[in-house]
Amino acid sequence: MKNLGILLAFLKRDFLVETSYRTAFLLQFFGILMSVLIWRFVSGVLKAPADTPGLDGMDYFAYVLLGLAFFHYLSSALGSFSQKIRQEQMTGTLEAILVTPTSPGTVVLGSALWEFVLSSVKVAIYLAIGWAFGIAIRFENLPLCLLVLAITVLAFSGIGILSAAFVFYLKRGDPITYLVSSVSVLLGGVFYPPQDMWPWLGSLSKFLPITYALHAWRQALLKGATFQALLPDIVALLIFVVILVPLGAIAFRFAIRRARAEGSLVQY
Amino acid sequence: MAVLEDRPASAPATTGRTASARSAGVPALRLRGLGKTYIKRRSILEMALHPWRRAERVEGLVDVSLEVPRGTLYGLLGPNGAGKTTLLKILACLILPTRGTAEVEGRDVARDDEEVRRSIGFVTADERSFYWRLSGEDNLEFFARLYGLGAAEARRRTRELLETMELGEVAKRQFMSYSSGMKQRLAICRALLHDPPVLCLDEPTRSLDPIAAKHLRQFIGTRLHQQRGKTILLATHNLPEAEDLCQRLAILHRGRVLREGSLADITAGLPGREQYAIEVTGIDRLPADPRWVLEPEPRRDGVRRLAAAIDRGGRPLSDLLAALLAAGGTILSCTRREPGLQEVFDQMERENPR
Repeated sequence: MKNLGILLAFLKRDFLVETSYRTAFLLQFFGILMSVLIWRFVSGVLKAPADTPGLDGMDYFAYVLLGLAFFHYLSSALGSFSQKIRQEQMTGTLEAILVTPTSPGTVVLGSALWEFVLSSVKVAIYLAIGWAFGIAIRFENLPLCLLVLAITVLAFSGIGILSAAFVFYLKRGDPITYLVSSVSVLLGGVFYPPQDMWPWLGSLSKFLPITYALHAWRQALLKGATFQALLPDIVALLIFVVILVPLGAIAFRFAIRRARAEGSLVQY
Repeated sequence: MAVLEDRPASAPATTGRTASARSAGVPALRLRGLGKTYIKRRSILEMALHPWRRAERVEGLVDVSLEVPRGTLYGLLGPNGAGKTTLLKILACLILPTRGTAEVEGRDVARDDEEVRRSIGFVTADERSFYWRLSGEDNLEFFARLYGLGAAEARRRTRELLETMELGEVAKRQFMSYSSGMKQRLAICRALLHDPPVLCLDEPTRSLDPIAAKHLRQFIGTRLHQQRGKTILLATHNLPEAEDLCQRLAILHRGRVLREGSLADITAGLPGREQYAIEVTGIDRLPADPRWVLEPEPRRDGVRRLAAAIDRGGRPLSDLLAALLAAGGTILSCTRREPGLQEVFDQMERENPR
């Protein structure tokens, strides 16, 4: 309960800071509209037939819109773990936070929370704009999508905590966020189905959580798939959770200990 | 200033285990053989050119052993790089010691770091440690939650401390619009949010003008130390401030404690001459003798003030006064100047040149 209060305090802090930059805050939403418009016209030019392997009969614009929304969600939320800590290091507030009894783990989670909330709102806007452009979204499947999202967030939190561990230890040059984001966008089926890549390259997508998350989301929101149909994707995501969350936690504990021993915890 | 809840530090909001440690007479701070060695990270170029070379080691603290009784205002002095901030950061659990132990209220900083953080308030002179776009009030409420206060308690405590530190009127203003003095007072507010029994102040008056610094010193000495009985560890470069406030002092140099004790303990046995201020009239030529050095100041209303440095022991003072009388002078006063920290630092510099 106390930890929930602390997480809400982080949320309030970031909301107040973010909304104090009014123009930048509003421009983010304008950016979403621009992005959707661009892809609307790109998909019009591409005119990918619905029987393209991997599209599973979906309209390409609908396919790419969901890919875009989901990737945006994961990349900004994933990046927020390390970026927020890095920001606190640079601005000098990290020391003041780490002398409080709040654990560094709670600090990292709390710091990332606002970005998750904001990204959720942005995904809703993506979907709303897509719906306005005529995409048939199966809103009745939203609870199922939220379940998939929750598991995906957990899996990506493991990666995010791992990247925060790198920032605590290495300061600059967190390789995790960069690698996961770029490989996810290349292989994970954000803009095109992995089946349309060179087979050896496309097969690597099986090792990325985003592949299963995106597949499940598209099937649920665009094709109305049931829980049973999504079960293989959900199980795959749970395996990622079981591997990545403990890995992130162990790396984080190690990094904090090393940084304290080196005396570099709040250096940047 | 408004009334701060004057609960003495002997009964702070701490855990039962801490309270039992306190009742058992455990000192507020206890350091035993504390050492910190920093290992400098090598650049990629350096590693490529000298792959087998050992990384450079820098001693931050060497065999530091101190005890600070509860309710003491303790000064930590030393030149830049002496190890003051390293010591404070070890106590605040930001750095792990390489050797030895450090205990705050009977709790080890390496093993019980969460409990130690509850017992300590840490104030730096770094203005960047706040969120500049948030108000002072929002900043404090945020940190209050991190110190484990509930929402209502965080609001109440924040308002109380803002009033106490005369920041109530600017509570809603963004932190970035605060003056240096206001920022420093807000940092003190933050350290007091959880009412810790121990406060670590790292050069709290560094960026303040003389009047603001004086007010802050009064607040530290009177409100925090005398009235509330806080144990305060004050790291400072300001020697008059340390002389004025601190009951006990430790002088650090290159990570080692060179001297420790009260001001009298520290200045006792200083080598060199004793210092006197002598006021005299009716004398034009000063008596010369190898046992003393007289530095006259400009005459005022016929009175001459002499700064006299006189050899210790024996009769040099009596002989000097006799010589002044013999030269036709009338001695108005003769006051011994107690050596201060400046003399200790001067001596330290002579013994340990940089």
